[in-house]
Amino acid sequence: MSDIAAGLFGVLTLGCSLGVVFSRNVIMSAFYLILSFFGLAALYVLIQAPFLAVIQVLIYTGAIVVLFVFVVMLIDQDKLLEVVTGKTLVLTAGVLAWSLGLILLRALNHSPMAVPVSGQLPTLRTISLSLFTEYLWPFEVLSVFMLVIIVGVFVLARDKVNA
Amino acid sequence: MNTVDIAILVAKTLLFYLIVLHVVPIMVWVERRGAALIQDRPGPNRVGPFGLLQPVADFVKFIFKEDPIPTGANRGLFLVAPALILIPASLTLAVLPFGDKVKLFGREILLQVADLDIAILYVLAIGSLGIYGILFGGWASGNKFSLMGALRASSQVISYEIPLGLAAVGAVAVYGTFSLREIALAQDGLWFGWLPRWGIFLQPVGFWLFFIASFAETNRLPFDLPETEAELVAGYHTEYGSMKFGMFMMAEYMNLTTISGVMVTLFFGGWHLPFVADAMLLKWIGSQNLLGLVQVVIFLTKVAIFLCVFVWVRWTVPRFRFDQLMRITWGRLIPLGIVNLLVTAGVMLWLGGWK
Repeated sequence: MSDIAAGLFGVLTLGCSLGVVFSRNVIMSAFYLILSFFGLAALYVLIQAPFLAVIQVLIYTGAIVVLFVFVVMLIDQDKLLEVVTGKTLVLTAGVLAWSLGLILLRALNHSPMAVPVSGQLPTLRTISLSLFTEYLWPFEVLSVFMLVIIVGVFVLARDKVNA
Repeated sequence: MNTVDIAILVAKTLLFYLIVLHVVPIMVWVERRGAALIQDRPGPNRVGPFGLLQPVADFVKFIFKEDPIPTGANRGLFLVAPALILIPASLTLAVLPFGDKVKLFGREILLQVADLDIAILYVLAIGSLGIYGILFGGWASGNKFSLMGALRASSQVISYEIPLGLAAVGAVAVYGTFSLREIALAQDGLWFGWLPRWGIFLQPVGFWLFFIASFAETNRLPFDLPETEAELVAGYHTEYGSMKFGMFMMAEYMNLTTISGVMVTLFFGGWHLPFVADAMLLKWIGSQNLLGLVQVVIFLTKVAIFLCVFVWVRWTVPRFRFDQLMRITWGRLIPLGIVNLLVTAGVMLWLGGWK
């Protein structure tokens, strides 16, 4: 039964991802993005990772996409489409996306598959413990990194407005 | 999982869903009569005794009304939006513990649809999805008032999710679990022989934060900026008529019910009677199954009290301005929440370290 469910949610995720890319209306793209994130969360549940699923919904679906939609609703849609369908941008984005995909594929092929220790699934406690002990340093560095990105975007956008 | 288990699960889901679904017409009546009481007027009193059949009349009216779709609307999203708000409102019910457990057909049945060990995260995650109904509904209407309402709603809900989450994390830290059932179980009995073992006495500041944020999360006065009839007509549901508007209203009352249920579970002892331990109650009643029923009644009574408080506040406190609303959360509630969490953590460390 879980195989059928996995298939259904996989089709949902992929189909909606295609919808994100091919939809001419930016709001509809956002709507498909939400659905595809949902499918992804359901897939996480099926591989016995409910924590990941809930976090996926809480952070991505519940917060980040809301901000996307918020911003997109305030932008002039025709102008946005003109910008994002410009040749240079599409070409650059295409090259970047393909290289990222190739890097990910290579990383996937060359890294050992994570196997749960002695068949026991990680609980919330073990996840938090490893985050705050073993991986504390990368965790903190990542958060600082995020902060730097936010401040950087802010500075870049401000310059444009003032100029 | 065999057929009986699945049947029990389906029965539980239906039962609790129907209970909460029936809160909606009752709340419509309580809201209208309560408003009338507070404003010193009779309120709806023609249909049935005390106007009790008014919700039925309203429902019939909803169904027979014209169901317009505006010309400038995005048809698909306009039709999907009411469902988008109603589905998350009902999904949260799955983790509310209505009672402890009963024994039927030779097996123990929890009076809760699913005892997730990440229940609080689930509540927060699903709770944050209700916003899409408002956001898409407002945008798809093709009306500027609706769009303004939707944008206000999204910024408001995103902001108030933070104090809500911080308050919940305080409770999680105190009880050492994310499971709502275990949190409710831990609140049985008394401290020092006279104080109910309730979360509010451990997390008074946390409760206050959760309470205030829940008004914003459910878009109720004093934080109903997304609909403000005086400036935005009716905000995101201006263009909706007939049962689609009815669905927005149902979602509002279901959201109120679930958030009240979460508050009761986190801070007011869940299904436990104050001053009477469950063991003592069991001795009086004599049967585990009957006790389960009593517990459900106690839980629903506590939820009903909270629902009345929501109505009471709605008709007494005036609306805030939008900048005030934002200043309350970013300037007051979030710092307070962080301090509350730090103090909680400090006290717990001082009292004997982490479990």
